[in-house]
Amino acid sequence: MLAVLGPGLVSGFADNDAGGITTYSLVGAQFGYTLLWVILASQIVLFFTQEVGARLGIATGKGLMGLIRERWGVRWAAFAALLMLTANLGSTVAEFAGIGAALGIFGVPPQVSAAVAAVVVVGFIALGNYSRVQYVFVGVGILVSGAYVISAFMADPDWAQAAQSMLHPQLSSAPLYWLAVVGTVGTTITPWGQAFIQSYVADKGLREDDLPASRIDVFSGALLTNVIAAFIVVACAATLYASGVTITSAADAAKALEPIAGPAATVLFALGLLGASFLGLGVVPMTSAYSTCEAFGWETGVDWNWREAPAFYGLLAFFIGFAALFVMIPGLPLIPVMFLAQVLNALLLPFILVFVMLLARDRQIMGNLASGRLLGAIGWIATGVLILLSLVLVVTSVAGGA
Amino acid sequence: MLFLSQIIGRPVRDPAGEPLGTVADLIVAIGDKYPPVTGLVMTTDRRKIFLPWRSVEALDASGARLSVATIDIGKFSQRPNEILLKADLLDKQIVDIEGRKVIRVNDVSLDEIEGAVRVVAVDVGAAGLLRRLGGPWVTLARNVRLPVPERYIDWEDVDPLESTIAGVRLRVPHAKLAQLHPSDLADILEDLAPRDRAGVLAALDDEAVADAMEEMEPDTQVDVLEDLHPERAADILEEMSPDDAADLVADLDQDTRDEILALMEKGEADEVQELLGYPEDSAGGIMTTEFVAVEDHLTASEAINRLRELEPDAETIYYVYITDDDGRLVGVLSLRDLIVAAPDTPIRDVMIREPVAVSVTADQADVAEVVAHYNLLAVPVVDEQGLLAGIVTVDDALDTVIPTAWKKRLPRVFGR
Repeated sequence: MLAVLGPGLVSGFADNDAGGITTYSLVGAQFGYTLLWVILASQIVLFFTQEVGARLGIATGKGLMGLIRERWGVRWAAFAALLMLTANLGSTVAEFAGIGAALGIFGVPPQVSAAVAAVVVVGFIALGNYSRVQYVFVGVGILVSGAYVISAFMADPDWAQAAQSMLHPQLSSAPLYWLAVVGTVGTTITPWGQAFIQSYVADKGLREDDLPASRIDVFSGALLTNVIAAFIVVACAATLYASGVTITSAADAAKALEPIAGPAATVLFALGLLGASFLGLGVVPMTSAYSTCEAFGWETGVDWNWREAPAFYGLLAFFIGFAALFVMIPGLPLIPVMFLAQVLNALLLPFILVFVMLLARDRQIMGNLASGRLLGAIGWIATGVLILLSLVLVVTSVAGGA
Repeated sequence: MLFLSQIIGRPVRDPAGEPLGTVADLIVAIGDKYPPVTGLVMTTDRRKIFLPWRSVEALDASGARLSVATIDIGKFSQRPNEILLKADLLDKQIVDIEGRKVIRVNDVSLDEIEGAVRVVAVDVGAAGLLRRLGGPWVTLARNVRLPVPERYIDWEDVDPLESTIAGVRLRVPHAKLAQLHPSDLADILEDLAPRDRAGVLAALDDEAVADAMEEMEPDTQVDVLEDLHPERAADILEEMSPDDAADLVADLDQDTRDEILALMEKGEADEVQELLGYPEDSAGGIMTTEFVAVEDHLTASEAINRLRELEPDAETIYYVYITDDDGRLVGVLSLRDLIVAAPDTPIRDVMIREPVAVSVTADQADVAEVVAHYNLLAVPVVDEQGLLAGIVTVDDALDTVIPTAWKKRLPRVFGR
């Protein structure tokens, strides 16, 4: 049982990366409790998409991009890889922006922090011990998540209203509202998360008997992510929203932690954002390089050396280099960049999910583990809702802009 | 030369030049050095039709032309030695025997040899990838002067895998894989998805699998063994050296372990059981029971004869251990000492008395130290009564100091 646990929890936890914390903070500060229903809905969808990912990994023992290549050929695989790379590049930029915003609290210019972060990440990867360091970031993540939970309680929020908002969505036609909805969904359910869970499960060598345990793992991961997300929103709603603060910098967002940490709130928030960013950097660039190389049949993984796997390391270098340089653009608004990266993820996600759902129902690939009527229907409904959401965003933005 | 990607989707025409449908796939019979095309699958607007090669007049980049005006619409059924180039090979993984790794097929190259169109190579290079991606990408790559290396692997050096996607379960002989060094085979098996691996394992004989298993990571060993039918697993364990088998069995869960041990031959199962009794990091835990020992009352020539009949499986015969009639270790001889001794000499006169030995309970690290200190290829292991229980060979002793293999898998973000 214990051996099966992990992929879902890890994937769930890594969802609360820099983009996650920032997005939830923005949502809470801007809309109060109003968007809590999105967190609940995302959790349900996240569970089902991750479950499909785990099932694909168990049934085939292969990664998502490899399966797309085998099933639909090289063009579709290239298409999927391009989408994945674009979304992940956005996420990687968000992680670097997170580091910039966190260290900005201490007056470090983003140009310097991006350069230092790039060197640190390359160092971890080169030394091959990212996995051990990850536990540190997870530890920081747990600490800061706990701080949000306590802070939410201490801020004395309106629980009745929070529960009301969670269960009874109040819709709006404001473009900003839908942008926030899409961003929240996009930071929770991600293309990389889909690739990550499948590869992790496949690599762990889980088999059919492990499916029930794996489902519990995935469910716990989704629950954990969203409980934390909900508390961040509540903490921000009870503090920032209540006092009418708009988040323009990490220091503003940190105010949500003041009920528990007082003047140390900014330090605590910076620490959390930093840990979350590095946590994301340990997962997203690697997953991207791994997926792409898998699709094209190139040597992939840190066990090859630079000469053996030039494409793998080249992609890693590109991701880290591009994101670091991007964040160095003078005057770049870091908080909006982090948020918009989540919107980008959300817009590209449905395409990846269509591949996932098509693969999952294919009996030739999945055997006994193919999606039945119920799981298949849920999967398609979830995908459909996400597509609809993207369309609503586009329509409201166009209508709002005009 | 012709590429599969250039043929798929091209028209199939009758002798009069009228299009009947398009080429959906090509069928080849594997077994030959270069497998000949034995038929093609045509898609018409309604169905897929199988066309045997004798009704095909010509096949090139412009499509296929048939030699017969009427075709009998036979339903295609794949024979065991046949593979569909597109469905089973294109975009799938193969084993590059020469490069000893798993690789993905970008295209298949065909050529006319001895009057038949045959598969000559698989394209695994960037050029093939670009050709498949098509039009704008080719132009783009040319315009930015991107280096596009061509890389082909001769069919002789390719072993196709049972595809995950294909509807028909292929039976690939994997004769080429069987010739690989066990270490290389182990690496490849570790890289494969469980289903692909099952196909390869089914085709290999027990001994080849056992040899490869000995070279695998413990985690993969367990995965592989659990995927096998218990009978087969037992057969493979019998072929493994008892110390490796015991290490592997120790990692299984209790039910599987009991089931497999019960299916093994009594002698082998007992040896494994005995080794299981020792802690994993003790001399007993890493020793093997396959060694050569002769009694001290023999002469040199008798001892040599005994060696021939005794233990052809022994891990090392460079050391010949000498015991008294009760099985207590009393001496050791190198094979060289034994051979140069006069045939009639009693071996107790030439043997080295009181040889270096370790106790079954000795710590693994201490065993390594003894082996290194005395420059031994193997060290004998004795139990409390001084009876010779087994030997630890230098490779197993040094495993503690030098890990067997570096982890070779997905970038592990979190430990397993």
